[in-house]
Amino acid sequence: MDLIEFINSENVSIILFFLGVYGLIARRNIVKSIISLGIMQVATILYFVSAGVDEASAPPIGDLNGILTVADPLPQALMITDIVIGIGVTAAGLTMFIHLYHRYGSTNWEKIRKKRSK
Amino acid sequence: MINLFWLVLFPVIVGSLATILSVKISKKLILLLHILMLAGATMNFYHVRTVGEFTQNVGGWGDYMGITLRSDLLAASMVFLTTFIFLATLLFNYKDSYSDGLFHFLFTSLEGLIIGIFLSNDLFNIFVLIEVSTVIISILIMYKRDGRSIYDGTMYLLINIVGMSFFLFGLGILYKRLGVIDLHAVKIAVENLDDPEVIILPYAFIITAVSLKSALMPLFSWLPKAHGTPSAPSSVSALLSGLYVKIGVYLFIRIQIAFAPTIDTSELFLFTGFITAVIGFVLAITQKDLKLILAYHTVSQIGLIMMGLSVGKMQTYWGSVYHILNHAIFKSTLFLTAGMIIDEYKTRNIYEIRGVLKRMPAVGYATIFAIFGITGAPLFNGSISKYLIAYGAKGSWVEYALVFINLGTIISFVKYSQIFPGNSPKSIKFKESMFKNSVVVFLGFLCLAGGLFARNVIMIVFDVGIAVDPLSYWLKVLVFAASLMISVGIYQGLLKKKKYLSLINSLELSFNGVCLSILLFFSTVLFYLKWTV
Repeated sequence: MDLIEFINSENVSIILFFLGVYGLIARRNIVKSIISLGIMQVATILYFVSAGVDEASAPPIGDLNGILTVADPLPQALMITDIVIGIGVTAAGLTMFIHLYHRYGSTNWEKIRKKRSK
Repeated sequence: MINLFWLVLFPVIVGSLATILSVKISKKLILLLHILMLAGATMNFYHVRTVGEFTQNVGGWGDYMGITLRSDLLAASMVFLTTFIFLATLLFNYKDSYSDGLFHFLFTSLEGLIIGIFLSNDLFNIFVLIEVSTVIISILIMYKRDGRSIYDGTMYLLINIVGMSFFLFGLGILYKRLGVIDLHAVKIAVENLDDPEVIILPYAFIITAVSLKSALMPLFSWLPKAHGTPSAPSSVSALLSGLYVKIGVYLFIRIQIAFAPTIDTSELFLFTGFITAVIGFVLAITQKDLKLILAYHTVSQIGLIMMGLSVGKMQTYWGSVYHILNHAIFKSTLFLTAGMIIDEYKTRNIYEIRGVLKRMPAVGYATIFAIFGITGAPLFNGSISKYLIAYGAKGSWVEYALVFINLGTIISFVKYSQIFPGNSPKSIKFKESMFKNSVVVFLGFLCLAGGLFARNVIMIVFDVGIAVDPLSYWLKVLVFAASLMISVGIYQGLLKKKKYLSLINSLELSFNGVCLSILLFFSTVLFYLKWTV
């Protein structure tokens, strides 16, 4: 029973976030670094969206007449913005990765760093 | 009173016009825009100074619901500084070939975004603005498409995104625990908190991101790469080092004030600031690249500002804020002149540049004025702000630490100033550019004026009267003269062209190492707070 209670959105998103951080620290592949950033972003979105939610509450969209509890719309609005930013930032990161790959012919941070300092 | 959102929106709109108009027209348009922006910022400042601070709710929502823009004395003076530095750098690269429509678009949008960050009172809004400006800056860093800079730009982009992910996650936890993300409302909510434990985790997340933005030890390794990269135009380096890094410091002030009633990390940041300042000048001494010396110096000065902000006395606080303004002026002068020197000599190696004073006198004297400013020579602006920081910290170890940091600063600038004397190797006539010369000379004179009229400036800008005690100020002058002599001795005797310097230089963190240091910093702050609160 304790385990079931432990698996709530808050704990899951914190674990996901630090999984992403682990990927950033332990993986030298640039694409994997960008994927890890994506994981961190998903964790953040999960955390925000589940922040102000009761189980009985209705989504804050459409006709809300006669519904008593409505989920907090603010974090959801914020997360739409964050998803858009995330797309832009991931695209920028991947574009730069392509340039880097064309120049140095490697996907490895260490190898590129060594080639650069030569 | 002007509508604050126009200060943010106007540059972005006019900047996007620049991409469709012809280069000739768009240049004039952008120049006009920057003059108007300076006027707008002055009006805003005048209003804040005479009437008082004010808050505007964008979109007509109630308090703490929509986005709010708030203009108080600190924000208004930072906005004024932003528009001033942008106008100066625009004039500087007005005639350069790279300033085309796209450059102007990125450049002016960045101005709007930075002003937005200074004025915004809403943490999520700050996150969005910082994220967008990060992308713009990483494009500007790679603007001349030099090979090495692609690595620098990618590092800059990804590391800052990691940092801002921490910021956003902390914001999520803050929202869940307090129900607000407006800075002013956070302050009220924190004051009425029963259990301080609940805001430790969000604070640690947010302050990690802010420390990364302001390049504190051990999170600074992205900064020299970004600020000293060969491919960025020198005006961009000046903007980044003079202005953009101050966003981190500004957010640090705001966040500390908002969390102040419950969380006190001033001792931690006093110590971190000291380490940052020391590491900054040690690494600056080991460099031989003109721009990298200046970039590491930014790290050192940020450490100094952080120390001043964390002592907690009135004089040190205003001294630090004044140092933010001063640093913006002398560091942008130094970067702009360094760019001109590099263009003229076609090398970045400090040992190959000789005779700047003879070959380009205006640039040389402007650089010397700025060096006097940054080392805190008497009568220049740096001396006043450093004096104020030291005055407030009287009697503690901080006072001696400051003398030590200033000694390091002087040593590295003794090294820097070896480019001035002597005859230059070739005698081709230097193509004088009136625009560039007048901008750097003007900025150089501001360094002197900021020292001579420091009392009036602080009175006008911050509305506090801080008396400079003449006796202890002249004592500082003696300390300065002594440290100047000691540092010339140390440099000539111990450090000149020694091999072991390049050893320190080769310590460079990779991307994974930087991410690890972010995690370590985060856990240190978390454990420190668990231990103290």
